[in-house]
This record gives sequence, structure tokens and C-alpha cells, in this order.
Amino acid sequence: MNNEGVIGTQTDVGHVHAAHHDHDGDHHHHHETFISKYIFSMDHKMIAKQFLITGMVWAIIGGLMSVLFRMQLGYPGESFPILETLLGKWAKGGTITPEAYYALVTTHGTVLVFFVLTAGLSGTFANFLIPLQIGARDMASPFMNMLSYWFFFAAGVVMLSSIFVETGPFSGGWTAYPPLSALGSASPGSKTGMDLWLISMALFVVSSLLGGLNYIATILNMRTKGMSMTRLPLTIWALFFTAILGVLSFPVLLSGFILLIFDRNFGTSFYLSDIFIQGVGALPNEGGSAILYQHLFWFLGHPEVYIIILPAMGIVSEVMSTNARKPIFGYMAMLGSLFAIAVLAFVVWAHHMFVSGLNPFLGSFFVLLTLLIAVPSAIKVFNWLTTLWRGNLRFTAGMLYSIGFVSMFISGGLTGIFLGNSALDIHLHDTYFIIAHFHIVMGVAGIFGMYAGIYHWFPKMFGRYLNNTLSYIHFWVTLAGAYLIFWPMHYEGLAGMPRRYYDYSNWESFKQFVGLNQFITIVAIIVFATQLLFLFNFFYSMYKGRKVTSQNPWGSNTLEWTTPINPGHGNWVGEIPEVHRWAYDYGKDGHDYISQTTPVGADESRH
Amino acid sequence: MATTAITTDTKWWGGGKSPFNVEYGKLMMWYFLMSDAFTFGAFLIAYGTIRFSSTGWPDPNEVFQSFPGLGSGLPLMFVSLMTFILIISSVTMVLAVRAGHERNKAAVVKYLFWTIIGGIAFLSCQAWEWHHLHEEGAWWGRNPFVNQDGTASSTNFTNFFFTITGFHGFHVFSGVVINIIMLIMAMTDTFERRGHYLMIEKAGLYWHFVDLVWVFVFTCFYLI
Amino acid sequence: MAHSDHDSANKNEVRNVTIILSVLTIVELALGFLMYKSFNDPGFMRSAIKGIIIILMLAKAFYIVSYFMHLGHELRNMIMTIVVPLGLFFWFIIAFLYDGHTYKVSRLTYDKYKAESANVKQPAIEKNEEKRSETGH
Repeated sequence: MNNEGVIGTQTDVGHVHAAHHDHDGDHHHHHETFISKYIFSMDHKMIAKQFLITGMVWAIIGGLMSVLFRMQLGYPGESFPILETLLGKWAKGGTITPEAYYALVTTHGTVLVFFVLTAGLSGTFANFLIPLQIGARDMASPFMNMLSYWFFFAAGVVMLSSIFVETGPFSGGWTAYPPLSALGSASPGSKTGMDLWLISMALFVVSSLLGGLNYIATILNMRTKGMSMTRLPLTIWALFFTAILGVLSFPVLLSGFILLIFDRNFGTSFYLSDIFIQGVGALPNEGGSAILYQHLFWFLGHPEVYIIILPAMGIVSEVMSTNARKPIFGYMAMLGSLFAIAVLAFVVWAHHMFVSGLNPFLGSFFVLLTLLIAVPSAIKVFNWLTTLWRGNLRFTAGMLYSIGFVSMFISGGLTGIFLGNSALDIHLHDTYFIIAHFHIVMGVAGIFGMYAGIYHWFPKMFGRYLNNTLSYIHFWVTLAGAYLIFWPMHYEGLAGMPRRYYDYSNWESFKQFVGLNQFITIVAIIVFATQLLFLFNFFYSMYKGRKVTSQNPWGSNTLEWTTPINPGHGNWVGEIPEVHRWAYDYGKDGHDYISQTTPVGADESRH
Repeated sequence: MATTAITTDTKWWGGGKSPFNVEYGKLMMWYFLMSDAFTFGAFLIAYGTIRFSSTGWPDPNEVFQSFPGLGSGLPLMFVSLMTFILIISSVTMVLAVRAGHERNKAAVVKYLFWTIIGGIAFLSCQAWEWHHLHEEGAWWGRNPFVNQDGTASSTNFTNFFFTITGFHGFHVFSGVVINIIMLIMAMTDTFERRGHYLMIEKAGLYWHFVDLVWVFVFTCFYLI
Repeated sequence: MAHSDHDSANKNEVRNVTIILSVLTIVELALGFLMYKSFNDPGFMRSAIKGIIIILMLAKAFYIVSYFMHLGHELRNMIMTIVVPLGLFFWFIIAFLYDGHTYKVSRLTYDKYKAESANVKQPAIEKNEEKRSETGH
């Protein structure tokens, strides 16, 4: 299949080459050192690449952790010498210890949710696309943008260091519920590991706030002439709502964590009451409420899942419309549903807590609000499907991942309707059904959106293409693998198999799943290996991939494709182009595509 | 200046300009304050939640009733002083911002100076109050006060009091530091060279926000 | 907004808002004092006074944000972007406090020890001593 698209009619290769060697517009190009260009860069494109590559490193670490604990789940008690080589005392004799198992599960969750799918996804694409697609030379505050990355980096360093402390990293689950997280004597991981975990997360909140404020201010203030809000590509709208969600919900998490830090270190009892620890005795802490922590945590935690999924939705809308050669179906409906999801994200948090002792009457309101989310989600799904309908589809890797995203979003979204009912949740909570649900709808769908974006904008990032054959192998194995891993977990969950257990072989009722668990483990290893293939493709193509020769390889309308193939700091040579139309004039009046910079013709039909 | 003539048919959202007619820094400061409002909101709501889940709570009038030099038995007096100090320092900040708009360097320096004095005075009051409470045996994890109905109180009264007023005090402190930086920049003519005093405006927003938070903290801890 | 006597209008505004804030604070303090002196037991009057104090607090917040922070003079759309998200606090507050109340009621209902100890009075001095020895230990 031809990557270059069949179009390229309006591209001006000569101009591009001239621009490539030339200076970047009216912006500075004075002696950039290695440090100012690659390390403490203030160019939004370089910061985006930093976010992406750091995110990929964390994805590999987090993914490897899941492979390790899947080994325990698939083959409980069996000895794998490689595990002892990797984990040392945490896997004496080649079997992972329970402490190490919980530490791996916890770190896997934290890292994937925050470092990969939040920083790696919206950090990358917000930084890369916002200035390019709205027509700005850089972010509103490039300096704060740089700080945002370095706070994220520091958070990563602290989290990484927590893996190497003697008592191990935090092991009480990524949600860090007290009392397990509040009392050092509760488990080895709740000692130094938890302190480092909290410091890391606090740094991460700062990073996310610095980034989010910048994204919002840039989108509002820095749009080029003619780029009204309703002419923005849906990627930008999605990233805009993502930033708002982050700015309003992360502070609540920070407050919750500060109270937790006091509980841990200063003898307070915000979350503690009536606790007896074996070997320690009854604790003096009285009057707190562990449910309060859950409320505070999920007030962020729920918007957080939309922080993950909204950028993916935006990327998919853009990639899908471009590669279907059709306008996105229902632009305003897409926008409205993004808004509805962003609002609902803030009012449904307690549906994670139906069995925590939450007032059941209050819970019924949360059920109602939760089920309302199905409406905007369905609107989006139908709009994607109708965008594909009778389109002139080009199955690029980015397009395949976009379609895969929609498939995942449907599969995982439907089980969300099961779980949103508090009555059903009594049976399903904390089982593998939950694991299946959120991995498909948030984890895999989020990763698919990220891959769609990487495959689509790789030519813009590095001026080269990824290898197509490897891309297709990567896609099909990942798609099939994701379903093979997570689909069977629904059955396990319906049978009552609880999550976060170290070994199921003691239960007669779960012996039926021994074979299934082994199967899931094997598939997980294959899928993980395929991601390494992608990694190889990524770094190989960065240096050796086929060069992009035309300015607009996908025949896309948006502004980033009007910049030189390798844009410098400042993005455009000379003037920033003016925008005259929305981003989705594909297949209009016999034109394959009409760039946003093309003035509206006199006899043009209305869309 | 930001206040250029505004025609009614301006296409605010058409791109190429700020839809709100403000520079990005001020916009960012506003949205930062929004997010900080959620930080304080979460603290105060957590405090409310614990109060609602407790069977009793100490009466603030019994706890906060001392005034330096005048002894005890004076409920609400000292905190009123603190509140007025903060309100007055907010007023001087407004005047400093306005002087900045008029590019009146002398007035900017004067009012910033008084704002800083107000901030330091507030922090001193807070330090005295904390010290006094500590003397009485109150601290994180220690609560010498009983509930209003005479039953035993959990330590969460003091826990929340010290955490939230401490967090507010931390904001006041950083506000004072920001204002001192503004004062130095104003005195060294940095703003004159820049041609505008917009930085003062942003510092002012932060300072007023600190005052705003105090309105809520004051009500939640001392009055009800 | 009038542009001509902008400055003096502004000056008056600052003065007026200062007076309003001071008066509101004094009323709040008076109410707090009244509550302390006359309505010491939980009841309708105590709750009503607390309600009034909260309304006064919101009024003060409005004056600070609108005039001192100058939000009232910004463009309408900007005001909306600041004010509308604060609407999230309604559900935030209702759900948290309601569930906090539930926590108390459930514990008093199902935890016999809690229900009994909730009514035991404790003299202040004794309590004081006990707490100190506890932390010392």
C-alpha cells in the first residue's frame, strides 16, 4: 500500500527543500547547542518528542512488569530462573514473592495510567499538535512547557528509584487506599516505597498543571487569523477538554495526597479510625474516614480516565477523516459530545465506590449520571462509523489503529454499562470483569489512539516514514492479542474470580481457569514482544526510514502540513498562514482535499 | 495597554487575537487560581466531610479566645484583626495595580510596600496563634479541646486546622515573596523598561486569591 | 463602562468595596458572637445563623472576585469560563457531606461501642492530660 497517498497535487517540493535548509521564519536560529536543542529545549516539537520517548520507556517498563506478574498468574508456584536473575531476592528460586507480585501490579498500574497514558499521550500530542494545528509559532509559555516536561522526568526518576529501595516500591494498588497506604507498618511496600510514590505523584501533578494551563492559554489566545473555535480540528478540541479536566481535577488529588502524607508522617488521622495491626496493637488514630480518601482519589480518578481517552478520541477523529477522504460526520455533535463527556466526568466519581459503604441512595444518583455517559459515547461511535461509511478508505497503519480504537471503545464501553449499575456491581466489583473492562476501554483503546497518532504524525515529527510491513504486523498482532488477553477475563470475572490475588490455585471454583490463565499469559508475552518490534521500527525509521519527499504526504487539510518537512523552531517560514475554512473539506466539489489555508471560492458549495 | 478601544462588532473568536482581550499570562494566572481553588475546595470539603461524620466538634469560640497582651476570654477578636489585616493589604494591592496601570512608579512602590507589610503582619499573627495553641497542647495529632457537648473529641479538629491554615499561610508566604520580587523589579525600573506593569496585575490576582481563600477558611474554622 | 471619569469611578469603587467588605465582616462577627452567647445548643436558630454566615461569606467572595480581582470588568465570555466550572462545587459538596453524614449514621447504628462512647462526657483537663501522655508515649 502506498504511504505517500495518491494525491500530492498541491505540494510544492522545490519550495519545501529550500525551506528545509533555510531559517525558520522570523524566529531565532542562533547557535543552538546540543543542550538547548535536545535537552532543555523550549521548542514544543522537541518537548513533544521528549514526552513521547520518555513515555515509551515507561511503557516498556510497565509492560514488562505485567509480563512478570502474568507469569505468576499463569504458572503459580512454578520456577523460572530468569525471574530470579531479573528480580533477585524478590523472586528467590525463580518464583515471584507475594510482596513483589503486589509491587509489580501497583507500579504497573501507576506507571501506565499516569506516565504512559497521561504524560505520554496527551503530553506528546498536546505539545506537538496544538501550536502546529492552530497556527502558532510555539506554546504561550515555552519555558513553562519545558518545566512541565522536567517535572514529569523528575517524577519518573523518583518512581524509578522507589523500585530499588530495600523494602520495595509501594504495593497497595495504584489507587493507594488507606489504611494500607497510610501506615508504614501495614506492609513492606508501605514504608519508604510509598513516600517515594507520593513524592513522584506530587511532581507529576505539578507537571500536569504546568502543561495543562499552557495548553488552555495557547488554544484560547494563540490561534492564527481565521482559526475560529469551530474551525479547530477535533484533536485540538479534545486536547482542550483534556487540559481542563486535568487542571480542575489534579489539585483535588494533590489535596488528598497531602492529607495522606500527614497521616503517614505527622500522626494525624484524616483517613484512619479503629485500626488494629498484628504485632503493633490498636492504634490511637480515631475519627478519620477511609472513604473520604476514596472520594478525593476518585474525584480525580474518574476524570483521569477521560484525560486518557479524550486525546485518543481526538486523534482518531482526525486520522479517520483524513484517511476516509470524507469530512468527519457531525463535527458539532462530536464537539458537543466531547463537552458532555468532560462535564459528566466530574460528577460520576463515586461509581468506583458502590461497595465501599457509600450511601446507597446517593449511589443511585451516581448510577443515573454514569449511565448518561453512554449517550455522548454512543454519539461519537456512530459518528465514527458514519465517517467510515462509503468513504474512500486508505488503510494506513494510523487508520487501522483508529478503526481498532473504535472497536475497542465499543467492546469496553458496553461492559461499562454493566458496571455502572450499582446492583450488578455488587457481584462484579473487584473481579476480573473490571480488569477486562478498563483495560479494553481505557488501556488498550488509549494505546491504540496513541499508536494512531504516532503512525500518522511520525512523518511530521521526523521527516521519515515508519516501515509499513512491520506496522501491519504490529497492528494485527496487537489487535488480536488485546482481545485474546482481555476478552476471556470477562468470563473469569463473571465466575467471581477476584482481582489482586497472588495465587488462585487454592480455590476449587477457579481451577477451571488454570488453562485459560496460562493462555492469557502466553498471549501477553507475544503481544509484549510485538511492542518491542514497534520500538525497533520507531528508532530504526527515525534514522533509516524512507524519507518524506512531499510537504503533505497524507493529503491532509490541517495546518501542520503547510510547514516545511522538517520545521524549525517557529514552525512556519515567513508569515503564519491565515485560515479560511474548517479542517474537514475532503472530497468537496470534486476536490480530493482543500487545505484550511485555501480561501473559499466564489461558487463553492456550502458544507 | 490592554484597554484599547473596543468596537462592538469585533470578532473575538475569529483567531489572531485573544478572545478575552487579555494577554496569555493573565489567562494562565486565572486558570491557575481556578485549579488552586479546587485544591482549597478539596481541603475544606474534606474538613466538612469529617465534621459531618463526627458525633461532635469543639466550639471555635472556646478554642480561639486569646489575644496577645489581653489574655483569654475574647472569642473572635484576634481572628478579626487578622481578617482586617488581610482585607487592608488586599486594598493596598488594588491600589498598587491601579498605579501600575497609570505607570506611576512611586505609587506602585509605596502600595506594594504596604501590601508586603500587611502580609508579614498576617503571617506574624498566624505564628503567634499557632504558638499559643501549641502551648495549650494542640498540634497535629494532639487535641486538648473537648467537643461542645463535653464529649471526647477526635484529633481531627486540630489536624484540619493546622493543615489548612498552614497551607493558606504557605500561600500568604509565597504571595509575600512574589510581592517582594515585584517591589524589587519596580524599584529597579524593570517594568519601566518593559513599558508596562502587567506583572503587578498577575501578582495582584494571586494576592487577592489568598485573601479570598481566607474568607472561606475564616468562616469555616472560626465562625461555624 | 464610562471611559471619561474612569479614574475617579475606579477610586470610588475601591473605597465602596472596602466598606462593604468591612461591614459584611463585622456582621459576620456579630452573628458569630450572637451564636456563641445565645444559641449554644444545636437547633434551628443555630443552623439558620450558620446559613446566613455562609451567604455573607459568598457575598464577600463575590465582591473580592468581581471588583478587587477585576473579573466583573472582563469580557462576558471570560467571566463565564471562570464562573461556570465552579458549578462543579455544588455536586462536589453535596455528595461529600451527605456521604460523610451517612458514615456517622452507619457507625452509630452498627457499631455498639461507638454509639455508647459518643455520649460519654469527658472533663477538659483530664482529656488534656491523657492526650499529652499518649503522644509522649
